[in-house]
Amino acid sequence: MSHPFAPPARREFLRQVAGLTTAGAAALGCTWSAAATLENSPVPVIDCHVHVGTANQMIVPWNTIGDPEEILRNMRKGSIDRSVIFPMTNPNWYGSFELANREIVEICRRYPGKFIGFAKHDSVAEKGRIRDLLLREIVEFGLRGYKSHSPQPTLEVMETVAELKIPYLYHPRQVSDLVAVARDFPTVDMIMAHAGPYNRIASKSVESRLEAIEAAKTHANIYLETSRATETSLLEKALQEAGPAKLCFGSDAPDCDARLEAFKIRNAMASLNIPKEQQAMVLGGNLLRLVNKSGRQVVE
Amino acid sequence: MSVVDCHMLLGSGTGWWDLTHGGSWRPPIHGQTRVKFEVSQVLEACSRAGIDRACVVSPVNDSYEAANRLIAEACEKHPDKLIGIAAHSPYREEGRIAKLLTTEVRSMGLKAVRSEGHPSRELLDTAGELGIPLIYAPVLEPMQGPARMFYMLSEYYPDIPFILPHMNGYCPDYIAAMETIHHAKLLPNLYFDTSATMYVKYLERATRTVPIEKTLFGSCGPHLDARVAIETIRLLELPPEQEAKVKGGNILSLLKMAG
Repeated sequence: MSHPFAPPARREFLRQVAGLTTAGAAALGCTWSAAATLENSPVPVIDCHVHVGTANQMIVPWNTIGDPEEILRNMRKGSIDRSVIFPMTNPNWYGSFELANREIVEICRRYPGKFIGFAKHDSVAEKGRIRDLLLREIVEFGLRGYKSHSPQPTLEVMETVAELKIPYLYHPRQVSDLVAVARDFPTVDMIMAHAGPYNRIASKSVESRLEAIEAAKTHANIYLETSRATETSLLEKALQEAGPAKLCFGSDAPDCDARLEAFKIRNAMASLNIPKEQQAMVLGGNLLRLVNKSGRQVVE
Repeated sequence: MSVVDCHMLLGSGTGWWDLTHGGSWRPPIHGQTRVKFEVSQVLEACSRAGIDRACVVSPVNDSYEAANRLIAEACEKHPDKLIGIAAHSPYREEGRIAKLLTTEVRSMGLKAVRSEGHPSRELLDTAGELGIPLIYAPVLEPMQGPARMFYMLSEYYPDIPFILPHMNGYCPDYIAAMETIHHAKLLPNLYFDTSATMYVKYLERATRTVPIEKTLFGSCGPHLDARVAIETIRLLELPPEQEAKVKGGNILSLLKMAG
């Protein structure tokens, strides 16, 4: 596999995902938290794309209800240790995600060691308030990253995300939108949801997925989240071309089934005989490394 | 239990994807050969996924006479592995379908027909006379719920089993999935296959609310990974007798074949 972002050596990789200290790992609630035994400890499997919580309007199932118990059930069955959760897309709690993010914080606290919370905001409706809200949500409440769909994030969002050193899981309208943001903010780690926009149906997304692979190869701060691949051969292509260091396992649960999404990426990696250590990076290590960059502890 | 995949592709054609351009989704361009699936690929996909037999059909083609002959020849060489499905375009092959399809079914052993485009009366009458299932994937914009295209077909041709591929959506598409469930409950002769849907929660709902005989396991291999399709069915956690029906019993029964 030839790609510009070679995976770190095993010791370096384990040091990075551990967030340097035992305390940091313990705060994350990981089952492998003892830094002293890292060499022999498994890296947790982390699903980095899960919608949880309750939206105000009941319109479509995928942005209305995400039941944490259902998520946990499929995590157990799919051998997934933790999930990154964030609010439903439906931004109808009085035009703000403030309450929805608080719900995420509450769910993280209710199930310690199971969830890593990301914040979400409407950069238009919440204009002018986002920095204050996000600072509080990350620093005080313990959320660990940012998630949004299109439209493009505003300067206010990006400057705050950069300041907080948190990863940004973004589902853009088109791949070039995310590339533009990644180019303007090279210190922000951008995770491309679904490894490229899926244009309502996955079969039409092949071209954008190919474009996303190119983007991940070209830009050091672009990563690909793996969910919703109908043509799973494209996961293999991403592994071969962008490399395991640039992929993060995600499911887009509860709309998609985390067990099946985990099977797809595990199956793709097994087909290519990807070494176990690199598989661990895709399944959780890469995400953990990005989240730990801020050096911040999570409150659970 | 014999595992039978009701939806695999064999042969060359224009297809819906352009394998010469990284597999991009592009509507068929007549005169261009863009996809090709060999018998060896089908057999390997079956072997890797634990599939005993596969129903094979030509990808989208300009003309189906030669493509169907290739299918029949492959089935003759691998009678314990492959089950042949004919394909026809009711409009490009108008006036010739009755003769072609009758020969393909009665002399060449093909077991069903896929209609490229909305089936015409000529195709429906012939399928009805031959007593074979008709496979039809309406091509509409996503989220439009193409299952409604079966209302009249089902009413006027109640003896033909209609099979809707991909549970109506070539990926997780909740409107397509919910409409498929709704229509499969409503129309007694509408069946659907599970290929490419990857929508476990709606398949679960279907198996709970629609007679189990209506769910047919399919993979859309070798284009898609049949192992993922098999895993999708496993995740439904069906009782063994129901799983056996979904994974082979139902399609064999529609094709009037022994297990």
